[in-house]
Amino acid sequence: MVLSPNRRFQGLGPDESLMNTTTLIMMLFNGLVFGSYLVLLSLGLSIIFGMLGVVNFAQGALYMLGAYAGYTCLLFGLNFWLALLVAPLVVAFIAMLAERFLIRHLYKEADIYVVLLTFGLMLVFEEVVRLIFGDLGRPIAVPDLLSGVVNLGFMYYPKYRLFIIGVTALCAFGTWWFLIRTKLGSIIRAGTDDSEMVDALGIHISRIYTGVFAFGAGLAGLAGILAGPLQEVTPLMGNEILIQIFVVVVIGGLGSIAGSIVAGLLIGEIITLGVLFWPTAAMTSIYVLMAVVLLVRPRGFFGRVGFHE
Amino acid sequence: MADVHETNRKRREKIFYGLAVLVLFFLPFFIPYKALGSQILIFMLFAMGYDICLGYAGMLSFGHAAFFGMGAYVTGLLILHQNANILVAIFAGVLCSALLAFPVGYTAIRRRGIYFAMVTLAYAQMFYFIAFKWTSLTGGDDGLQGIPRPDFFGISLQSETRVYYFILGFLLIAILFAFRVVHSPFGHALVSIRESEQRAQSIGFNPARFKLLAFVISASLCGLAGSLYCILQNFVPLKTLHWSISGDIVMMTILGGMGTLVGPLFGGMFVVLVREVLSTYTHLWALIMGVSFIVIVLVFRKGVIGELKKRAVI
Repeated sequence: MVLSPNRRFQGLGPDESLMNTTTLIMMLFNGLVFGSYLVLLSLGLSIIFGMLGVVNFAQGALYMLGAYAGYTCLLFGLNFWLALLVAPLVVAFIAMLAERFLIRHLYKEADIYVVLLTFGLMLVFEEVVRLIFGDLGRPIAVPDLLSGVVNLGFMYYPKYRLFIIGVTALCAFGTWWFLIRTKLGSIIRAGTDDSEMVDALGIHISRIYTGVFAFGAGLAGLAGILAGPLQEVTPLMGNEILIQIFVVVVIGGLGSIAGSIVAGLLIGEIITLGVLFWPTAAMTSIYVLMAVVLLVRPRGFFGRVGFHE
Repeated sequence: MADVHETNRKRREKIFYGLAVLVLFFLPFFIPYKALGSQILIFMLFAMGYDICLGYAGMLSFGHAAFFGMGAYVTGLLILHQNANILVAIFAGVLCSALLAFPVGYTAIRRRGIYFAMVTLAYAQMFYFIAFKWTSLTGGDDGLQGIPRPDFFGISLQSETRVYYFILGFLLIAILFAFRVVHSPFGHALVSIRESEQRAQSIGFNPARFKLLAFVISASLCGLAGSLYCILQNFVPLKTLHWSISGDIVMMTILGGMGTLVGPLFGGMFVVLVREVLSTYTHLWALIMGVSFIVIVLVFRKGVIGELKKRAVI
């Protein structure tokens, strides 16, 4: 049940002899890796929410689709790097179709209908993948260039995991730069605040909507293929991580980039370290944290007052 | 003229309800096996309870499996370990579901709108995990097995027909209770909060308190459905806490027509029957559900009763 890339380290357990500084730092790094997926996924969720005012329940399923798109690319003989490029694009394209032909019709209706629609999409994506590929886990191999470990001076760490952290940092920074520094980004930010006004100014807001939804889904797809080599690719892999990214955005504040990053990394660390120190409570602790945040800071760390409320 | 129209509508409504109750009384004789009838009743109750939360208070909860499961587990444990009286066990299940709904509702309501769905889903998943891990109490993945079915004041409930009428009794009481709630001043206040929280607040209602109470009432009814489910099955599967149950219940409510009580009752019956008819395709059930969700939300949002009402049939 527990979907976490650090599962293979569970074997270490809370054995005293292993509890030295190096192990701890290693676990902190593993938490960072797991947090990276959460950051990519919740960033996508947050951007979609900011623009469309929609919580995308299919975000976890899109993550799973990304992993399967990558797996299929490799099956057809593409190399990992091409797959890394193609998989997010495939997912973005699927999301684009979903937005264009289904979700778009519900913007005028109450929000709950869009949520239910994405819930339906989630079920359909999962079941279709299950029908095509079966329940069995599929492996994605780590590319040669990134296999093995690298010497960080104080410890050895798998290259591929460092790569994940790097890609995530790049994506998070890129998204921020794009939204703050480019013209399209400022249109999106303006649309987030008042989409009718932006539409009135002669900008095709509906195209922006489609683009933003596809972009958020693409981030999920990227997280999916990145996660592939660290775990088995299964139809239900998106299922549990969906709940975790919900916890992330509730804690971080939905619609905030900074919130997604900070809360994503925090939850990644809590789950990873929790599994090491107190496995039974690891999965419960994040929900308790969520409850506490809701009590003392209902909008989350970085939530804005009056934003889509 | 309007009065005549109104009287006619009321008369039609009465005939409709009378027929519906009649159908429920004779249902066990029309379906392949009696336990299916009891299952239909339980999901009717579950969906109707959920409707108070979604349809009347306007809160989309994806966590109602937690209350259903809570009712089932508490009733099961009490019968299994304490040999409790059947009514005590059911009452305790309802009470525990209500108690659970307080902290869940209290924290979830602090964030309006769309957050509610995420927060309730997250909590429900936590309870699923706890039940999954706490094997000594809940039996973990195997569920709670071998729960005997106690007598009801000396009346043996071993016959499936008797259990059906036992559950029907609870359902009818619950229906009366739910109708009383939504047609009370409290129910009207709920609807006004659903329509405009600001306006309701400005005329002196405290939306958070009303919503919390609605959530707790809804959870209690769903807990009752869970308790009865345990009595019927002699077994509490871990699946009762799974989010897919929450999804099913949302589906039944929307399909029947949310905010009508009658709609979800119909939706519960309909979905359980369809699932039975399609039982050879169980492996495709999630796909069927997914496609139905998409279609219903796109073209049939008002649900069966909503559409009928729009066309002034009832």
